[in-house]
Amino acid sequence: MTHRRWYTPWLLVGPAVLWLAVFNLWPTANTVVLSLTDARPLGGGHFTGLANFRRALTDEQLVDALVNSIVYLVVCLPLLTLLPLLLALLVERKLPGITAFRTAFYTPVIASAVVVALIWGWVLDDRGLVNGLAQELGAITRPVPFLTDRWLLLLSAIGLTVWKGLGYYMVIYLSALGNVGRELHEAAAVDGASVLRRFWHVTLPGVRSTMLLVSVLISVSALRVFSELYVLSDGTGGPGGRDMSVVMLIQMYSRGFTGHLGYASALSLLLLAVTVGPMLLLLRFDRRAAR
Amino acid sequence: MRRYWARLAAAALAVATLAGCGLGGGGSPDGGSTAVGGEVKGKVSLQTWALKPKFTDYLQGVIHAFEKEHPGVQVEWLDQPGDGYAEKVISQAAAGTLPDVVNLPPDFALPLVKRDMLLDVAGADPKLAEEYVAGGVDAYRFAGHPGTYGYPWYLNTDVNYWNGDLLTRYGLDPRKPPTTLDELITQARTVKERSGGTVHLMSRKPGLGDLADAGVPLMSADGRGFTFNTPEAAALLDRYRDAFKEGLLPQDVLTDKYAGNAKLFTSGAAAWTTGGGNFITGLATDNPSLAPKAVPSPAMGTPPLYVQGLSVARSSPNKAAAVALARWVTNAENQAAFAHLTSIFPSTRASAQDPYFSRSDGTNAGDAKVIAFTSLAKARVLQPVQVDGAMSDIVNQQIALAISGGTTSRQALDTAVARCNQLLKG
Repeated sequence: MTHRRWYTPWLLVGPAVLWLAVFNLWPTANTVVLSLTDARPLGGGHFTGLANFRRALTDEQLVDALVNSIVYLVVCLPLLTLLPLLLALLVERKLPGITAFRTAFYTPVIASAVVVALIWGWVLDDRGLVNGLAQELGAITRPVPFLTDRWLLLLSAIGLTVWKGLGYYMVIYLSALGNVGRELHEAAAVDGASVLRRFWHVTLPGVRSTMLLVSVLISVSALRVFSELYVLSDGTGGPGGRDMSVVMLIQMYSRGFTGHLGYASALSLLLLAVTVGPMLLLLRFDRRAAR
Repeated sequence: MRRYWARLAAAALAVATLAGCGLGGGGSPDGGSTAVGGEVKGKVSLQTWALKPKFTDYLQGVIHAFEKEHPGVQVEWLDQPGDGYAEKVISQAAAGTLPDVVNLPPDFALPLVKRDMLLDVAGADPKLAEEYVAGGVDAYRFAGHPGTYGYPWYLNTDVNYWNGDLLTRYGLDPRKPPTTLDELITQARTVKERSGGTVHLMSRKPGLGDLADAGVPLMSADGRGFTFNTPEAAALLDRYRDAFKEGLLPQDVLTDKYAGNAKLFTSGAAAWTTGGGNFITGLATDNPSLAPKAVPSPAMGTPPLYVQGLSVARSSPNKAAAVALARWVTNAENQAAFAHLTSIFPSTRASAQDPYFSRSDGTNAGDAKVIAFTSLAKARVLQPVQVDGAMSDIVNQQIALAISGGTTSRQALDTAVARCNQLLKG
């Protein structure tokens, strides 16, 4: 009989625990500590208690950023949950040339978010493709301020996010649809169920858990959006900085020699709290639906 | 027992976390003295910013000559890439590994001065103020910190550039470009009317520099608070807001970044931009057909002064050699040689006599160089060095908001001042 030493399990899990401690726990704990100080890159770090959080609660820019993030979430969540599913249903069929369509829909996913945002910037710019064409056709006299109006800029960024995300979530749904039993569809068809009824009663229950996963992924991405808004607004966050996302605010406060690391850390923790909320709601909704 | 270990682990984590907070200081190893004595010998490091590979031969020549002049010295040259330089210097400063001589613009130098990490080179070199131009030296003097914390290395300023072709096309004389905001608005109106709004003359929103130029005090004398929310500043923004409403500026000035107006100019969408003395050289690459049509003229009001300099780390174990090296690299002869390679201007008083800078070769690029050089005499650093990235963003955002009509000019300025003061304090 082998005699197991007490430290054997610790030796086995040790590397993983060490990895987690160094790369997850430590940065998180450090962020919490920093958020309670007035730290700068070159020092500072005096304890200020909850001052950064109190300041955040009265920060109008943070309110704007949270509103932007919520609008992003409210618009992106239904669009990116349903459109990719419909797209997946379309390209799921075994038809000649269907691979070309799948590839076309997936191409924006491969492209870098920054490059895509730059291209869309040229398209939507005052002297860009859309405004240029509209002016040539006499449809408008002054350019439509896609990138310089608060709400139009936000909607342009949302449009870009949706366009870029379609292919990504489509592929996830494709793999889920492959697991929905063909015999279920055949049985429903034999029973006289219409295409719509089969979708509602067979397809949707089959991909419900995938829809939840997609919803969670979209929620997190929407609340943490950065590249699209940053590039489309040329890094300015739109007139008055009213199109900033919370991540843009964190970047603004934390960069450079005099970065306000304490305040940026407090904003990061608030973003974490805001991100966890919708996820818990979605999970609860899923449990109820399952019951 | 388990609770004991848990508490011990939590305490250890807290201690370790606090230690990682950057609470260490940049204490002065020499007790704050700036007197530099001793022989010029030993190893000394020099850090520059994005000079390789274009200026490798030049700088190696300068270093080689210095080592020849001081046989006991070995110079180690480090060149950092353009991107991420601030982060690099921050990490060096935090780790206590700042090079002996380091290229720092004034806004990079100030945070290090506050942490007592740079040497007062004027204390170590009494001739500094005599031999370098006042504007350059002043850029390295900071309110509340007696001393001069860098040798000014090279300077630049802004020149106006006008698209002569477009001005002529719309009935304006490129040889009589606007010299004031009033004239600029008047001519912008003409360009707008005659081009049907497809071309703009005004191509940027105002910034802190424009407020300073209008006589608005940006900061209190002690550098502890911003003061630019004055009626005069609001009146200036109101004029821009009216011009914007009238369609005299392109809509995208609201979200432009630095050099946004240069992009508009290069693409032919705007007939005016500001740029350094070498702007036409770059334009010849980006838009070769436009370069010969660019007409330079002096900047309106007080020209802005852009300064680069070499600072000496207070922690340097070889201060005598470091100060000698900083002085050597920035001397009149070496700066003149540098200026012949690229369009920068020397910060040494002796260079004022050099005909290379004061005489044009007859080309528009040559004219621009001379205009820039003569402008340096009255150029000033218009934006306080205390304005960091976040403050700059906030000011630009609020100015854009005021111009777009999203808020009153006064409200925008009040908001900007309040937020910047909050950032300044903590």
